[in-house]
Amino acid sequence: MKKVLVASVLLASSVSVIAGDVPISGSVQTRCLITTDTNGVFGNPLPSKLSTASADGGVVPVVRYDVTLADAYIAKVTTPTAFSASPSLSDSVTWTGTTAVSKTSDAAMSGYEAAKVTYGSTTQFDLTKAGSTWFSSTATAVYGVNKSFPGGNYTAIVLAECIAK
Amino acid sequence: MSRLAVVALLATYAINAHSEYLYGITGNLAGAGHTWGMNNIGPNGSQGLRVNGVYYQYTPVKNTEDDMLVHVRNKKLGVAGEYIFSNTDDWSGLPGGIPITKGFAVDNLPIELWGDGSIDVEGTGSVTDANVIYSYKYNNDCLTPMSDPSCPGYTEAVLAMMVVDAKGYDPLADGNVTDIIDEKVELEDAPKQEDEEVEEKEKLQKLLSGVNDSILFANVTAQNLLMSSMSLSMKLNSYYDKKIAGGEYEDKVVMDGGELPDNKKGARSGLAQQLLHTEMVSLQYDKQE
Repeated sequence: MKKVLVASVLLASSVSVIAGDVPISGSVQTRCLITTDTNGVFGNPLPSKLSTASADGGVVPVVRYDVTLADAYIAKVTTPTAFSASPSLSDSVTWTGTTAVSKTSDAAMSGYEAAKVTYGSTTQFDLTKAGSTWFSSTATAVYGVNKSFPGGNYTAIVLAECIAK
Repeated sequence: MSRLAVVALLATYAINAHSEYLYGITGNLAGAGHTWGMNNIGPNGSQGLRVNGVYYQYTPVKNTEDDMLVHVRNKKLGVAGEYIFSNTDDWSGLPGGIPITKGFAVDNLPIELWGDGSIDVEGTGSVTDANVIYSYKYNNDCLTPMSDPSCPGYTEAVLAMMVVDAKGYDPLADGNVTDIIDEKVELEDAPKQEDEEVEEKEKLQKLLSGVNDSILFANVTAQNLLMSSMSLSMKLNSYYDKKIAGGEYEDKVVMDGGELPDNKKGARSGLAQQLLHTEMVSLQYDKQE
C-alpha cells in the first residue's frame, strides 16, 4: 500500500513540472541625436568650381549633435569626395572640405575645435560634454583643370556619424 | 426683467468668450546693447502675459588663458539684488570665438515679476553678437472689459450698458432712410427730360426687356430640365426602393434518390458517331496504300 502511495506521489510530482520561457525585453533610448540644421547649397563662383562657402554664393551645411550623456560619443563628420548625383562628368573632380564647430550649448564645448582630429575628409570630435553642438562643413569641388562643369543639378552628401566610445 | 436678461446674457457671453492662451516670442532684446527692459513684451493690451522661455546666444571674445564669466540675467522686480532668471557661463581657460546658444524653459512666470535684463561680463574679455529672446504666452480675454467678469472695468462697463436708453428703432430717424426718401422726392420733382433722352431711355428699356425675356426663357428651360430630372428620379426610385424581406430562403428543388439509368439511345448515337469518325480517318490511309 505504501509503495503504491509513493508511486502515485511521484507521478503527481512529475505531472506538475511545467516548463516556461520568460521573455526579457528592454529598450535603449538614443543618447546621441543627429539633426540637419541647415541644408547646404553649392555656389558656382567659377565655371570649374562649386563651393558651399558663403563668399562663393553657397550655403554652408550645418549639422547638430544632441548628446545627453557626456564623454560617451565621438562625432565624425565626413565632407563629400564625390557627387551623389550629377550630369555625366568626363574629367576628374578635386574635392576639398573642412568641418568646424560653429556653435555650442555649453561654454566647456568650446574646446572641441582645438581638440578635433582630421584625417582624409573626415573630422572627428570628442563629445566630452552633454548638450548640443553644431558643426558646419565646407565643401569645394573643382572640375578638371579650369574645365567648366556641365549644366545640370549637382548633389553631394556630408556624412555625420555618432559613434559610441 | 429686461435688466436681468441683459445681465444673464452677458454672463453667458463671458463664459463662452473665454479663450485659449496665445503664444509669441520677442525679437532680439539685446540687439541695442547689453541691457534691456521688459516693458514692451507682447501685443498691446494683452493680459496675463507670462514668460515661459529664455533663449540667448553670444560670441565670447577672449584669450584662452583669461578668466571670464558671462552672466545673462533679469532682475526680479520688487526684490533688490535678486534675479528672476540668471545663468552664468564660465569661459575661464576656454577659447573664445565660438558662439554659444542656450535655451531655458521658465515656469510661466508673470511679466510683472520680470525686471530689466542684462549680459554682464566678469573678468577679462567681452561679448559680441548678443541675442536674447523671450517666449511668452498671454490671452486677449480682457481686450474688452465685458469679456470676463474678472477683467478690470467689467462692472463699470456692464452698468454703463444697462443705463443706455434703448428706444425702439425709428426709421425716420435713420439717416440712410431719410437720404433715400429725399432722393426719391427729388426725382419726382425733377423737370421732364428732353425727347431725345426719353427715346434713348425707351430704347434702353426695350433692350433690357429683351434681356429680361432671355433670362426668363433660360429660367423656364432650367425649370423644365429640373422637373424632368426630378420625375426621372421618382420613376427610378420606385425600383430602388424595393426591399427584399428578411429571413431564411430555403432551397425548393429536391432531387429524388435512386439510380439514374444510362442513356442507351445517347450511347448508341455516340458510338455511331465514333465509328463514322474512325472510318473517315482510316480512308486517308487506305488511299495511300
